[in-house]
Amino acid sequence: MDIAQHTTDGRVVFTLTGRFDAHEADAVKDALHAEIKAGHSDLGVDLAGVVFLDSSALATLTSAMKRCREAGGDLVLLSPSDPARVILELTRLDLAFEIL
Amino acid sequence: MTEETSQSLDSLQQYRVWASTPIDQPPTYSVVIPTYNEEIRIVPTIGAIATHMCTLGEPWELIISDDGSNDSTVQLVNDLGLANLRVVPAKINAGKGDAVRRGMLASLGETVLFADADQSTPIEQFERLADQIRLGADVVVGSRAADGAEVSNKSMARKAFSAGLRFVVMGVFRIPVADTQCGFKMFTRESADLLFERQLIDDFSFDLEVLYLSQKFGLKTVEVPVEWIDAPGSTVNPTKVALGFLRDLATIKKNDRDGKYDRPTTPTSRVQATDEADPPTTQLAA
Repeated sequence: MDIAQHTTDGRVVFTLTGRFDAHEADAVKDALHAEIKAGHSDLGVDLAGVVFLDSSALATLTSAMKRCREAGGDLVLLSPSDPARVILELTRLDLAFEIL
Repeated sequence: MTEETSQSLDSLQQYRVWASTPIDQPPTYSVVIPTYNEEIRIVPTIGAIATHMCTLGEPWELIISDDGSNDSTVQLVNDLGLANLRVVPAKINAGKGDAVRRGMLASLGETVLFADADQSTPIEQFERLADQIRLGADVVVGSRAADGAEVSNKSMARKAFSAGLRFVVMGVFRIPVADTQCGFKMFTRESADLLFERQLIDDFSFDLEVLYLSQKFGLKTVEVPVEWIDAPGSTVNPTKVALGFLRDLATIKKNDRDGKYDRPTTPTSRVQATDEADPPTTQLAA
């Protein structure tokens, strides 16, 4: 999976491309938590190019979202692909995240 | 849902129709997923499979064939409330082979895929196998050993185990399939009924038995390279599994010598509903 990073309107956005599973979860977690530790609590994760998320991926996103909110910000999900959106809906996590 | 309506919708809309409205015609495709204590992994897998299958524009059904899970797998899947998903439960943990057999024989599709619950072979590989069915294959085997396969994160232990098994299966047992164990195999309706009505082995060697029977009955079996990503959490004890395979290879040979594969032992409800005396409808090439 590819991970790219840019900043838009004060929000650090991570663009993920490929399969987001347990093999990739630690790398994403490290990237997100590094930004939070650096004082950036408004994060975005662009899921337009993600074809699959497993439970490790969902846990990684949820954990980072909670840390952002504890720090006064939020982690939002951007443009999820159809499979990503359906997985979020079936796990009811679409109710927990702000999806733009 | 008519084909014309289906094709005019985008994939997310097609998924929403599939999720809420029972299909009103026999399914073109069935996807069977065997499960055992998959409460952590099964929902994302269902989401990925459902989204992709709904892009194909054909009526299809999803069957979760449980192997006596003692976690919340069955309740979790039932609670999704998906209109074209059926759960085939079991009271006991009889083995993956038993779960696949029950799921395959419960399925109604003209073409039936069984796929592992961990999405180690992504559902996007479905069309590779379906193309071979359209070209006349009876059985299509997803393969990590065929030229063109993309295998990621496979441990050295699993590679060594696969190579040893391949040597025994192809060299000693004369089954011309390089990868018998990939959990991504497709069957025509007729071949699924013929093979799974006769399958006797309930554990992980069932693939081997099904492919042995496919060769015995002269079914056209094609191996197709697939993408495969090792899913963490898969637990294979190579020594234990290897010994089990050797034992089951001998059992398969003995079953054949004893004539145990000459007639169905697990007739489908469809066969029973029409005429129990009728033989399977598969045309045998041999």
